[in-house]
Amino acid sequence: MSLDAVHEKSEFPIPTGVFAQTVTSVHHYTERLFKFRITRPASLRFRSGEFMMIGLPNAEKPVYRAYSVASPSWDEELEFYSIKVPGGPLTEHLQRIKVGDAVLLRKKSTGTLVNDALLPGKRLWMFSTGTGIAPFISLIRDLETYEKFERVILTHTCRDVAELTYGKEQVAAVKDDPLVGEMAQGLRLYSTTTREDYPFQGRITDLMASGKVFDDLGVSAISPETDRGMICGSTDMLRDTKAALEGFGLTEGSNSRPSTFVVERAFVD
Amino acid sequence: MTYVVTDGCIKCKYQDCIEVCPVDCFYEGENMIVINTEECIDCAVCEPECPVDAIKPDTISDASKWIALNQKYAEIWPNISEKGEPLADADDWADTPDKLAQLSENPAQH
Repeated sequence: MSLDAVHEKSEFPIPTGVFAQTVTSVHHYTERLFKFRITRPASLRFRSGEFMMIGLPNAEKPVYRAYSVASPSWDEELEFYSIKVPGGPLTEHLQRIKVGDAVLLRKKSTGTLVNDALLPGKRLWMFSTGTGIAPFISLIRDLETYEKFERVILTHTCRDVAELTYGKEQVAAVKDDPLVGEMAQGLRLYSTTTREDYPFQGRITDLMASGKVFDDLGVSAISPETDRGMICGSTDMLRDTKAALEGFGLTEGSNSRPSTFVVERAFVD
Repeated sequence: MTYVVTDGCIKCKYQDCIEVCPVDCFYEGENMIVINTEECIDCAVCEPECPVDAIKPDTISDASKWIALNQKYAEIWPNISEKGEPLADADDWADTPDKLAQLSENPAQH
């Protein structure tokens, strides 16, 4: 029996209480990054920016991991953007999925990177590293984001230039989108690298401290009167970016207590 | 890493946490709710939802006591995945400190 045949034969039943969905597309960006899309359960409702638990039907008790939905709440499919961790309990297998394969989804979506958790403001900053850009790819495709904020600035920092591709591609697609494109013309993407030569380099916290990010974008520094923030990335990045925003006078909020910035902690290692 | 429910929940059970948990790791007693610390994925979404600040990270100073209590009852109380009504006199007990002596070991009755 070939490896492929083994892969297609699911020996395990679909657990109760979860959605079993079908992979509709897979695209590998680098050796470490890929995106995939799956069918959307008809009964699923979620808010743009939320995350869900994903698993594979490959064990009696499948391993689930939190993944931000990268598609907006109105999309017909669900998109996810993933790393590939060598030996990772889920991603080791998830990275091999093909069109037609089954993916399990637990039924609840949740998260703090939602428009509801922020007080009204003029500018929305979305700070991301690596696959932390995913919830923002959902939010920049949602009209509500542009109804709530006049300007939207998405920052994305990765080690290498190739890792910036997904963000660039998605922002370009949003601007071309017949539904949200017109509203999204003011959307800015600020991509930086930390390990490879690129026109914009450095950690976003350093670039905020030096003021370079504001100079590069030609915008005023962050102020609690006008600016709102959302943060998604590695543990260190969350801590440092949170401290930076607090330094500008912003305070952390949540679904029950909206404020001037929010942090997603579901993916920290 | 996990979050735990502390004694602030006792005799209140507001249950705002239940709606947001992505892994349904809450378990319900007669007058308190606990987290199954082996199922919690540490996503932190429930913590700010609690109106009485009963949910804490496992970095608090007396975390081990609360982890043990949460795990003990998570293994004997029924799972709760949908929000119900708070206890009738929840508001009267919301501001009372040190409610551990009030804890009922009984599982929730529905």
